Amino acid sequence: MKTVIKTSNLVKIYNSSVAPVKAVDNVNIEFKEGEFTSIVGPSGSGKTTFLNLIGGLDKPTDGHVLIEDVDISTMKEGKLFDFRLKNIGFVFQSYNLIPVLTAKENVSFIMLLQKQSKEKMNKRAEEMLKQVGLSDRLNSRPSQLSGGQQQRVAVARALASKPKFVLADEPTANLDTESAFNLLDIMSRLNEEENITLIFSTHDQRVIDRAKRVVTLVDGAVSKDEAFER
Amino acid sequence: MNYSVQLCGKKITCKILTMKLILTLAWRNLWRNKRRTLITISSVLFAVILAVFFFSMERGSYERMIDTMVRYSTGYIQVQDVKYDEEPSMDYAMFFDEDIKDLLKEFDDEISYHVPRIESFALAAADEVTRGSMVRGIDPGLENKMSELADDLVEGEFIERGDEGLLIAEGFAGILNVTIGDTLILLGQGFQGVSASGLYPIKGIVELSLPEMNNNTIYMSLDAAQWFYAAENRLTSLIIMPENPSRTDQLAEKLNSKIDSEWYNVLTWEEMLTDLLAMMQFDMAGTWVLMIILYIVISFGLFGTILTMMIERRREFRLLFSLGLKRSKLAAVCFLESVFITFTGAISGMILAFPVVLYFYHNPIPLTGGMAETIMDYGFEPVLPFSLAPSVFYSQALIVLIISFLVGLFPVYKVFKFKITDQKT
Repeated sequence: MKTVIKTSNLVKIYNSSVAPVKAVDNVNIEFKEGEFTSIVGPSGSGKTTFLNLIGGLDKPTDGHVLIEDVDISTMKEGKLFDFRLKNIGFVFQSYNLIPVLTAKENVSFIMLLQKQSKEKMNKRAEEMLKQVGLSDRLNSRPSQLSGGQQQRVAVARALASKPKFVLADEPTANLDTESAFNLLDIMSRLNEEENITLIFSTHDQRVIDRAKRVVTLVDGAVSKDEAFER
Repeated sequence: MNYSVQLCGKKITCKILTMKLILTLAWRNLWRNKRRTLITISSVLFAVILAVFFFSMERGSYERMIDTMVRYSTGYIQVQDVKYDEEPSMDYAMFFDEDIKDLLKEFDDEISYHVPRIESFALAAADEVTRGSMVRGIDPGLENKMSELADDLVEGEFIERGDEGLLIAEGFAGILNVTIGDTLILLGQGFQGVSASGLYPIKGIVELSLPEMNNNTIYMSLDAAQWFYAAENRLTSLIIMPENPSRTDQLAEKLNSKIDSEWYNVLTWEEMLTDLLAMMQFDMAGTWVLMIILYIVISFGLFGTILTMMIERRREFRLLFSLGLKRSKLAAVCFLESVFITFTGAISGMILAFPVVLYFYHNPIPLTGGMAETIMDYGFEPVLPFSLAPSVFYSQALIVLIISFLVGLFPVYKVFKFKITDQKT
């Protein structure tokens, strides 16, 4: 399997007012195409910072992030925006959807920014919402959807544009058990069907139990990297 | 070629879709908090209504003053003797010669008509009362064309060319206690110091709208006045009415360039009414100061709304940047939100202000008491007229546009400074 993401001596230091904080400490890791990986660790271990770095939302203090051999750590902001748009999907813990757009418009959002044709966009959006079981809620706004439904729309949006990988930062944290399982089922299925790399940061054991690979971060460094047959 | 056309068409469609997205986001964002948006729009709306109302009232007064002065007194352009403006004396009555007549012919296509006048002071004596008066020698037909003087006739008959009878203003007739058929003695000083005197029957009485004129004016035919003042072929002013009043300045400039400036002077109504215009500008400045203060207050309210909208959407901004929306596009969304709020308020304000202004345009507010007396002292009718000039409305739109632009710059600045991984989000 080809390598989608590779980090090389990745370091992120925040210069806080009290003392500098090393949020990511010399991480060297690779993620392959189609992997379903959980990044776990205690609070403050650097999970979110690590995701921000490989997602191009933040710049490393040192080291490199290569996405299919393209170094994004030194990219200028404009190019980074375009790169993120074409290659990376995001699902956040909360506040995932644009409140004033409908479910269909939210899913179409990235494809519209990618300048895809209207027909292709509409077709793909409807198809993805059907995949996540929300074909009857195309014209509902986020305020009219439950938490679980909102997360499913977010997953549909993240995958609709067929990115190289999707980063999910604690996507099940605010969900009840049933909704969490539903979401995980959908993401697992789409991971297999679309062969898109999924990387979760999570505390949720339900997510960890589904992951084929679990990377443990402690104090910003990789302490464990385990693969599982599931 | 087909591929190029298809590619170009696709690019245009994509641009349109992106524009549509930006406009959709901006418009829908306004209504996330309906109450707040409506309050902000209402503040702009009421400010615009107030501003339009006051400007219309102020401009209406000025338009009425200018219109009255132009119609009854100055006309749009006057040709005078070069010294008459400084010293309005019969001795500086100009000669209405062939040069002037040729000049009028040369610009015939730009001149609608001209109105000759000779006017000066004279004592008017009735049986028991003697008063100073403004005696105006006129061509009745042309004078009527300009000021519709015949419509002001309340008693008797209008004078004709060559007539020996007089028209007297109603107020003055009351002061002198005269009526139709009575005879007035006029005594004055004519051209180059010649004594001017004559007996004239009153043929008609006119009611003039300017109270000051209504209390001292006498009209007589031009021929009779020229004879009275021993000023044959002379005029104190030749009023020129242009075909297009908005091109008064241009016509005056052309006349000035052709006329013999050693003997004649060409003046526009603005040059003749400098004191009045200065008073108007001073008065208008006061209104502008009040309106600016009002708009500054409104701007802060608008700014507060925009600031709140920015602060409550930090997480949304992070999401949008994460998804790949560029700063310039998000800045455009935020800028448009400011524009939409202000313009919605402004357009609504103008729409609501229009019927109000229209009503008062047709029904000017009558003044009473001290204010009425003050207005009349200046020689004007004691009413508050309103103006429907488009500039009264679009000037407010322009101010609102500037406000929305300035306030809209703040969210643009904030968007470009926004840190995607700020811990506060």
